[in-house]
Amino acid sequence: MVELTGPESVPGSLPPIPASTQLLAVAWLRWRIFVNGMFRKRPNGNRQIAGMVFATLLRLIVWPMLALIVVGPVAASGFFAWMAISQGHPQSLASLLLGIALLWQFVSINGLSIAATIPTFDPASLVRFPLRFGRYFVLRSLLGLMTPSTIVGCLAVLAAAVGIGVANASLALPALVVMAVYALMNIYLTRMIGAWMERWLANRRFREIFSMLMALFAVSIQFLNLQRNPMRAHGTRSSWIIAVLHSSGSYLYWLPSGFAAQAILLVKHPLAAVAQFAGLLASTALFAAVFAIRLHKQFLGEYLSEGAARSVPVQSAPREKAPEPEPAALSSPDASGAIFSPTVTACLRKEWFILRGNGMQLIGLITPLMFVVIFGMNRSFSAITSKYFLPSAIAYVLIAALSSLYNIFGADGRGVQLYLLAPIRMLDVVLAKNLMSLAVIVVQVGLAWIIICVLARAPVPISMQIATALWTVFVVAMNLAIGTLRSIQAPRHFVPGQARQLRVSPTNRTSALLVLAVLFGCMVLQIPVAIASSYLKLPWLAVWVFGPLAVAAVFAYALILRSAERLIFAARDVFAEELCKA
Amino acid sequence: MTIPAIDATALTRRFGDFTAVDNVNLRVDAGQFFGFLGPNGAGKSTTIKMLTGLLAPTSGSIRILGGDLQANSADIKRQIGVVPEGMALFGRLTADEYLQFVGRMYGLDRATTLNRTRELLEFMQLAGEHKKLIADFSHGMQKKLALAAAVIHGPRVLFLDEPFEGVDAVAAGTLKSMLLRMIARGATIFLTSHVLEIVERLCTHIAIIHRGQLVAQGSLDELRAGAWRVGRPGIQEGVVSLGEAKRSLEQIFLEIVGADREGNPAATAPEQELSWLS
Repeated sequence: MVELTGPESVPGSLPPIPASTQLLAVAWLRWRIFVNGMFRKRPNGNRQIAGMVFATLLRLIVWPMLALIVVGPVAASGFFAWMAISQGHPQSLASLLLGIALLWQFVSINGLSIAATIPTFDPASLVRFPLRFGRYFVLRSLLGLMTPSTIVGCLAVLAAAVGIGVANASLALPALVVMAVYALMNIYLTRMIGAWMERWLANRRFREIFSMLMALFAVSIQFLNLQRNPMRAHGTRSSWIIAVLHSSGSYLYWLPSGFAAQAILLVKHPLAAVAQFAGLLASTALFAAVFAIRLHKQFLGEYLSEGAARSVPVQSAPREKAPEPEPAALSSPDASGAIFSPTVTACLRKEWFILRGNGMQLIGLITPLMFVVIFGMNRSFSAITSKYFLPSAIAYVLIAALSSLYNIFGADGRGVQLYLLAPIRMLDVVLAKNLMSLAVIVVQVGLAWIIICVLARAPVPISMQIATALWTVFVVAMNLAIGTLRSIQAPRHFVPGQARQLRVSPTNRTSALLVLAVLFGCMVLQIPVAIASSYLKLPWLAVWVFGPLAVAAVFAYALILRSAERLIFAARDVFAEELCKA
Repeated sequence: MTIPAIDATALTRRFGDFTAVDNVNLRVDAGQFFGFLGPNGAGKSTTIKMLTGLLAPTSGSIRILGGDLQANSADIKRQIGVVPEGMALFGRLTADEYLQFVGRMYGLDRATTLNRTRELLEFMQLAGEHKKLIADFSHGMQKKLALAAAVIHGPRVLFLDEPFEGVDAVAAGTLKSMLLRMIARGATIFLTSHVLEIVERLCTHIAIIHRGQLVAQGSLDELRAGAWRVGRPGIQEGVVSLGEAKRSLEQIFLEIVGADREGNPAATAPEQELSWLS
């Protein structure tokens, strides 16, 4: 056995730790986590390699689309900045910069910052090391810079500087300097909002209120958009949002975007330009200071979770004598005349308790329906496409609802060990979970259906209704089949409603992409059928196509369900390991 | 008068309406192997988190090695080592990478970090696993790694929250010998454990916390003799007769936290309860 050497120096008389040592150590840590996450193979066998190949293929399809999402705002930013200067509308620059800032913050708050979701590294955990607050602040400012919102935001700001420089070369240098500070201001604004949101979101009630507010905000924007910019007028009117930004020009000059724009445009009046630049610097410092106040509390050991509050001892209820178990009734539904076996009933009850205590799931259920109401209320929209509005709206409602089918064990975490150890059939557990998901989908689709039928200007043809119903059965059954397979072979542990996991999807990314691929595949299938139906004047054609498909999908699901026991047994190592992670 | 290694005064932590730690006074002298005991939910981990600067107390003061923890947290953290409740390892690193990171964060130079990493991995019998991700380690291996990380910088005070939980007997023996060696070299160890035999064998001084309040504090002999200091201001050293002078720590613990005098916890439950159990 190795003999450990003693400490080489007396602690207390140690020289100070250089900042570069600690900062480089954290940079190295971050790099190793990234490299190990990307390239190090986990000992899980061939199935995971197949999954990686599949995920890579899916990403090859999705990433170009994401690249377009990046290129769009960046190119638009550069173009509008160039246009504002070269075409003599310099006041538009402030509007453009405000637009960039709003989009940047909105995307960040919505949690699209994928790089920040790596569950193996929480920057707050660095407080246990002997860091001085200044270093902690620097680290927290730097960590997480490689998020999509920050990258796109910085590129958009840089593009704006380039656009200004191309339009007027004498403004190039001040534009670059000012835009660099403007990007920093946005970074600290994001950090400030993020840090305070994290504090507030530690409270479950606030999380629910916040989710509701975000949903309402999104719904309100859509509502206003459709009211101010109806379907038929698209392309003939400029966006009302841009109009609002233009009309509020005089107020914008009191915002950081106004300071930045004026600091560039008033470059021929150095004193005024410097004053505006000082305003921009002051806003940046203000956001950094508010961020630092929050970080300092965290640094001193602030407690954010609600966990301890829940550990308050509760008075135990008067105990009733437990009924004698009836072994014969454990697995057979026939004994009591019930539809489902006791296992299915018990699992359904458990799923119901979780569902009713999850306010955010309720919000997720209502939000798509509100969008359906808004689109349905739009007269021009429903008049043109009322015939196809029903299948489109049902497909829209299904997008969010179907993802829950792809990780049915995720919220159970270590609880799955009970299923694996108990003398029960896994088929019953899977069936119960799918039944609960199905009940939610049926309620959601049913409500959407009623909304559309009430709001549609012309009655939806019965052939369309039956075809849509069959298509829905086909899509749901197919997703149930694939989702059950994915739930068993690629489960992912998640904690519903936990603050730090708010930005983590309950499904893994491959499954999330798969949901979209399957759903869009099914939607694309509708198009040739609809065209053929219209061209051949066969209104019932869709019924004849989707009827057999629905039966086939239900049959496929039944096959998967029957194999659940065997599939879980075959994948039990990955299944248990992945779900039992802390 | 010697400076205590740990000196907590009127330490209190509230979570909303719930008081997890209530007015606790603790004094641990340098070189002591100090056991901090209590039933589940008594406030042990909360106390350790406050003593190591991971959780701010609602009120009270903490001095570690004579320095105020709040005012000099970076300097004090440099002189302490912690194995926290959840171990707080980075699962996507290897053991080797993790120890190197920790060493650098504590200001060790590169060569010393590499040497100590190698030594510790061999000592903890993790050298063969240095290429494996920590996430793939067993619970016991993670515990050993957390302990290695806690001592890599040679701390003067070591805080251990359940260090032997999930560790096999061979590894536990290795850890115990290492801890005793640290004590022999003048370090102070503050340990929580539910394994009372280990505490009894290792610790020279013990405190017991129950429902957030410190209900006993003293040397093992003082506790055995039925005398302990109740660490609350205004209450002087008290002597409570426990009958026999020579009791095991388990009997003392059960007496203090409220089980029956025979040390038989099952007897406290009403007879009719769990009658269906065979």
